[in-house]
Amino acid sequence: MFRFQSLDEDCTLEEEDDGGMIEEEDEINQFNDDTFGAGAIDDDWQEEHKRLAGLQGGTGLGAGLGGGGRMGGKSDLGGAFDSSSSHLHSSVGQLPLPPSLKFSLSSSGLPPPDVEDRAGEGGLAESLARLILEADPAITGVGAAAPPPSSSGSSLSALQGLEQPMVLPQPSSIPHLNQLHQHPHHLQHQLLPGPSSGLPPGLPPSSMLSYQQQQHLLRRGTAPMAQMNSHSIWENSMGFGPVSITLGMVTHMEDSPLMSIINEVGLPTRPPQGRSDEGRDLSERVPPPRSSSPVIGSPPVRAVPIGTPPKQPMSHALNHQIHHPTAVHVRAPIQHRYPPPFPERLSPNTLLNIANSPLCRGPFPPGVGPVLSQIQRAQLLNSQMAGFPRGGPAPPLLPGGGSGRFFGGPPPPLGHRMGPPPPHCPPNHTPPIRHNTTHLHPQHRRMLTQRMQNRGVDRGRTGGDRRSRDHYSNLMSQKEKEWVTKIQMMQLQSTDPYLDDYYYQNYYEKMEKRQERERDSSKKEHTTKLITPQVAKVEHTYRPVQFAGSLGKLTVSSVNNPRKMIDAVVTSRTDDEEKREKQVWNKRRQILYTVEKMYSLLLEVQDFEKRFVQAPEEDREALLEQHKSRTLQLCNTLREKEWDDRVSDEQCVMIMSVRKGKRLISRLLPFLPSPQAAAVVMAISRNLPALAKKDKQDQVLCWLVEPVAAVIQSLCSSALTDLLQELQGSEGQLASVLHNKFGVTLLYLILSEGERMQSSDSNCQLMDDNRWTELVFSVTRELLSVPPSSLSPPLFTPPNLLSLFSRYVDRQRLELLQDKLQITSLSR
Amino acid sequence: MNYVPGTASLIDDIDKKHLVLLRDGRTLIGYLRSIDQFANLVFHQTVERIHVGKKFGDIPRGIFIVRGENVVLLGEIDMDKPSDTVLQQVSIEEILEEQRLQQQSKQETEKVKMLALKDRGLSIPKADNLDEY
Repeated sequence: MFRFQSLDEDCTLEEEDDGGMIEEEDEINQFNDDTFGAGAIDDDWQEEHKRLAGLQGGTGLGAGLGGGGRMGGKSDLGGAFDSSSSHLHSSVGQLPLPPSLKFSLSSSGLPPPDVEDRAGEGGLAESLARLILEADPAITGVGAAAPPPSSSGSSLSALQGLEQPMVLPQPSSIPHLNQLHQHPHHLQHQLLPGPSSGLPPGLPPSSMLSYQQQQHLLRRGTAPMAQMNSHSIWENSMGFGPVSITLGMVTHMEDSPLMSIINEVGLPTRPPQGRSDEGRDLSERVPPPRSSSPVIGSPPVRAVPIGTPPKQPMSHALNHQIHHPTAVHVRAPIQHRYPPPFPERLSPNTLLNIANSPLCRGPFPPGVGPVLSQIQRAQLLNSQMAGFPRGGPAPPLLPGGGSGRFFGGPPPPLGHRMGPPPPHCPPNHTPPIRHNTTHLHPQHRRMLTQRMQNRGVDRGRTGGDRRSRDHYSNLMSQKEKEWVTKIQMMQLQSTDPYLDDYYYQNYYEKMEKRQERERDSSKKEHTTKLITPQVAKVEHTYRPVQFAGSLGKLTVSSVNNPRKMIDAVVTSRTDDEEKREKQVWNKRRQILYTVEKMYSLLLEVQDFEKRFVQAPEEDREALLEQHKSRTLQLCNTLREKEWDDRVSDEQCVMIMSVRKGKRLISRLLPFLPSPQAAAVVMAISRNLPALAKKDKQDQVLCWLVEPVAAVIQSLCSSALTDLLQELQGSEGQLASVLHNKFGVTLLYLILSEGERMQSSDSNCQLMDDNRWTELVFSVTRELLSVPPSSLSPPLFTPPNLLSLFSRYVDRQRLELLQDKLQITSLSR
Repeated sequence: MNYVPGTASLIDDIDKKHLVLLRDGRTLIGYLRSIDQFANLVFHQTVERIHVGKKFGDIPRGIFIVRGENVVLLGEIDMDKPSDTVLQQVSIEEILEEQRLQQQSKQETEKVKMLALKDRGLSIPKADNLDEY
């Protein structure tokens, strides 16, 4: 694309190739649009160009001039023209004008009111034109010229112009630039401070070079420059990105706090001025702003994409114009390398190779030292002198010196109180803990504090020295770190910490309870409650943007609002055969569904106690009500549909046919009111054989033992008798009951309970009717007759069975029973 | 534990030397300069370390930006700890040569295996590690 600029060796602009120039103009347009997007240029430079061209009497100076006309972005910069115009003639012939200058000339979007003002009736335009024309061969004839000192003024602007085609100068930098422009006689009036001392005049303005390149050039003279300049300048420029470091201006600029910023941020301004005389080397160019699309035809994306770090403070001024990300600073020394033939961009490999050599030398090559500008060094010293143990270079962004800096607090959204910030720490230093009191469980916090203290003591010394030598530290500014942390914190927010972070909460509660138990109750600290931030639930539904007066809504799909890709339609199959199969499955599914619903109710009921404790006073009543209703709901599900007060057998059995259901019942029993619980147990015992059969695979009936035992113990005597009767049920039921472990255990439980009743309470009603006695008799008969093999061992044997049996059977049988069941007075 | 005590964050790892293993098997060692919420990493003065047997070689790579999803593991390198290992550092050419040989031998064994399986009428589909379609 820049072929017209990557001049052929013999191109002489004296030809004034009109046609060629005009073509190039289109190319420039195209390239411009491609790189920066159609909207990048604010002003219509074409008008300007035409006007200026008209001044020239119709000479198609084209792009160069048009751009040149626009160079003066602001009045002060335009001043450069003034100062330099006088020098133009002298310097033009001598200095190579990099072709990119032309580009920048053409593509700068800056209004040139100044130029016209100052230019004075086309005088400047003329000189500019000549400058450009003559500069062209100068480009090819690089090395011919040492830029005279007088050209410095324009060189500055030229340099600036090379930075970014579309940048406006920052307001803050203007005053300085002003100063700069006032000193045209300064050698190499460069914008940016550089670590190296001033270049000898022999070098063309190499502000665009990295300092290392400049060093290199210093050593090798200007010869390579010619090479570089003659090929497309872009070859060198694209890959390096980093802001150049200037020469010569160090003395002038270094004290300015601005310089540190500029050093960091890079010069986004491209006050494209006086098309300068000096050859400019565009070996380093900041890559185009991230928001513009390089793809032909696609519109520039204005919005800052998600995930963009916050802008550095200095670039705020630019944001309204261009979304210009800060240039990444490759501070590693880069040796000059001849660019590959393919002009447009450096391939990553080349870049890597370029960067390779310094890396081969090891992490901190001796050349690293000069990277720090004077300002940074001063800051470093300041920070070290401030008694700060780990003197890292303070973030260069802060011109006020590092000492004033302290950690920003954690991200704001939760608005919690922060502990006092530590006096001065670099971002990479583990600070004393700031207590985010609202976040962690206090116990957790205590543990953390202890841990930190231990660690801090050990690692105190070593980290400091290392970091003081690491000049690349703090590339990630404080703001950026906070921003990342903020995002992470956002992910931690929750409206219901009890739900979202259940295990964490429970763990620390248990730990506290444990500690309380261990500690003496007299010196018990008041229980610290975990206060977690309650984030208001915000409506996150997407409302499509709508423009007034337009039809329809604009839908932008994003992560939170993805585009609907597939229209899925549910079609139900109506196959008869499958229906039957399905019915079976449906039934099971229904059971499972019921179980699930009950489970969710049950979990809430179980959690009730914990929540009750945590809830503030006002909410407690509401919670209680909720609890009651839930319990009721649970009971209702167990009931039959027609009979309101009876626990449905069917339902129970159905639920219990699933393993999960059994578990559910076992957990549910303690929460049921006692008549209902009793009814459930009755149902179980009534249907025990069936249940036992179904349970063969799972063997989970035994889970029920504990809750059932609890229920049994709460039964009254008549109920107990009933239960025993149910258990015996029809003929042969008892036998099958005895077959099953749970059954045996249940039986024993009942018997033992009866015995307890009898022995403890003398006037218990158990003996009132003969039922109990009869039942026990039949049980003993069964027990004796059942072959020992089919009698399964119970989970446990209550101790008082012996006394029970001793009441009802004679000695002989008692002994038989004893042997068979292995019940002794001590068995359990 | 920098800003949010009780959580794990990479903020504290910034400007420290790290070793990262990527999903494609590469091992990079460099100074971690910057992160973002996806755990994309910016490494400075990165060195790619190739291990073959008991030898290893370092290839300086410069600046690396690693997309977060490609990281298998990341660990800080303790500069204070003495690095006495049984591993022997060799030159880049040598290690690349060794690697090539290793790949070659692996391929050959794979080929032999496939052939043997084919003779028996079996086939093992090649595992698709790349997630690319």
